[in-house]
Amino acid sequence: MGQHIMSDAVISVRNLQVEFVTRRATLRAIDGVSFDIAKGEVLGVVGESGAGKSVTGAAIIGLIEPPGRISGGEILLNGRRIDNLPPDEMRKIRGRKVAMIFQDPLTSLNPLFRVGEQLIETIRTHLPMNERQARDRAIELLTEVGIPAPEKRIDGYPHEFSGGMRQRVVIALALCAEPDFIVADEPTTALDVSVQAQIISLIKKLGRERGMAVMLVTHDMGVIAETADRVAVMYAGRVAEIGPVRDVVQRPMHPYAKGLMGAIPTLEAATDRLVQIPGSMPRLSSIPRGCAFNPRCGEAFARCFVDQPVPLPVQGRHVACHLYETMEAVR
Amino acid sequence: MSPRPYVEVTDLRKVFDVSKPWLNRVIERSPKQFLKAVDGVSFDIKKGETFALVGESGSGKSTVAKMVVGLLGVSGGEVTIDGISMTDPAQRAQRARLRRKMQMIFQDPYASLNPRWRVDRIIAEPIRAFNVIEGEANIVARVGELLTLVGLHPDDGRKFPHEFSGGQRQRVAIARALASNADFIVCDEPTSALDVSVQAQILNLMRDLQEKFGLTYLFISHNLAVVRHMATRIGVMYLGRLVEVSDAKEMFSHPRHPYTRMLLDAVPDLAMSGRARIPVAGEIPNPINPPSGCTFHPRCPLANERCRAENPLPIKGVACHAVVEGRTLLIPVPA
Repeated sequence: MGQHIMSDAVISVRNLQVEFVTRRATLRAIDGVSFDIAKGEVLGVVGESGAGKSVTGAAIIGLIEPPGRISGGEILLNGRRIDNLPPDEMRKIRGRKVAMIFQDPLTSLNPLFRVGEQLIETIRTHLPMNERQARDRAIELLTEVGIPAPEKRIDGYPHEFSGGMRQRVVIALALCAEPDFIVADEPTTALDVSVQAQIISLIKKLGRERGMAVMLVTHDMGVIAETADRVAVMYAGRVAEIGPVRDVVQRPMHPYAKGLMGAIPTLEAATDRLVQIPGSMPRLSSIPRGCAFNPRCGEAFARCFVDQPVPLPVQGRHVACHLYETMEAVR
Repeated sequence: MSPRPYVEVTDLRKVFDVSKPWLNRVIERSPKQFLKAVDGVSFDIKKGETFALVGESGSGKSTVAKMVVGLLGVSGGEVTIDGISMTDPAQRAQRARLRRKMQMIFQDPYASLNPRWRVDRIIAEPIRAFNVIEGEANIVARVGELLTLVGLHPDDGRKFPHEFSGGQRQRVAIARALASNADFIVCDEPTSALDVSVQAQILNLMRDLQEKFGLTYLFISHNLAVVRHMATRIGVMYLGRLVEVSDAKEMFSHPRHPYTRMLLDAVPDLAMSGRARIPVAGEIPNPINPPSGCTFHPRCPLANERCRAENPLPIKGVACHAVVEGRTLLIPVPA
């Protein structure tokens, strides 16, 4: 697999496995996930609840809590392995090199401290600056994320900010030490549509301008279509399809990706019925043998119930589906 | 179509008292504070149609829904369903008969089903409460029928809610809503807690049931794409006021109110058609202290002096001075 690592990849995830040990059984939440994210690139990760999107993000950032553990594969940051670092080492990287934006801006800020104090603390933890310099930098960051009158708002408490403004503060917090890589886990889910659009374009702009690699985790395909360069569709802890966003969104190949796109009501298409995928995502304790999607798939054949498909290159993307293996062999 | 609309809502108002406790008010010499959650909303729904209310959080759409079904008292205005007033105390007796005709489906199927009751008991509750069917055997048969109708198995009735996924629970909630042979169903964000593939299943099911039983829906959602898929007519709410009401098709092809246009532009573009979008500015203001005049004016690209001073009244379905005055063409096109 080593030859796949791109020279400009900031983050490389290779065959990642994450397990949760419970009394009854060991559950595999992530099963062989691989992808790269280049400098300045936004990788969208979509899937339904329980697909393993957030766990993948947490694994990269080193925030998998026991009983969960990374049980296989590796994660490389700028070519250096970070999945096996001792907690102290990882703590130095987290916030400095890799950062995270969480879903709920209310719970990711401390309500007892002024916004400025939280920014300054983070800046001074990672960068050699005095109080004065850190404060100036905090104001700079707040300006950059679009907070009006930052010199004044820096002394406000989180509850004095609206939802959208709070999420901007959280983004500023993630940018404090100019990380190379940011995981944004459902950054717009808690926000209203009009504010959502503002935050999406902000994340996109910052990624481009600063050359950061961004992993955008969301269940909202619209957000991905607007923001991401490439998209990975996850299902039951595995990547079903990964490729350029235009290809995957407009011409999905994996039956699950097809179903998912058809299920989304849009403003453009005037259809009476939405495509529906029968059934629901399997529980981790009962992932079917072979392809995890086989009970819900209309095109499943004998092999799908036996062999687990791996992502193979098809038409400029990677698809984990037996339907396309023969197709590529013919080529 | 009957000459009279099935549901008529006239000048509906709801004011919440959000004052500080009495002692604080006395010490701090602060006056009482009131929040106008719903401020003069009027619309009507014809039999068999789906009327959707859309808006951002805090716009008052759920408050309207609760007042329509009578879960919340009104501060002013009137709600009439099937010719019977929901608000007139004199019509209490008639109202009792109306109750079984309307049901509600809530947003969170994890909170709306009693976790200690088996599903068959949950679904049978309205049947028993309204004495729709006599005899235990008949009730059991009816529950089985309802479960089949919503795509579950009659044997699923013996299970508890926790044994179902979110989508299946919402199916149970729909079965319960149908149990009393209701013909008016208020759906408050019925799919926003669900994954997209499951959302598609539920939306399709709701449309099928509407066709089959001629149901009338009041559909509350913040998701314009979902609304477009479901609604015949749409009302857009902003800070407790209805800013635009029009046919669904018309609303999406020719949105008139600047707020409606802004909402439509904010929907992420799945087709990646690169359509021109007006950049969205600002956020919904604090409803305790709303802006003067038209409450949308601080965010509106068309606002002028009149908008800042005078609250626009709905004219031909739009409450906007700019639309009435024909100033709409001046919206700046982003480069």
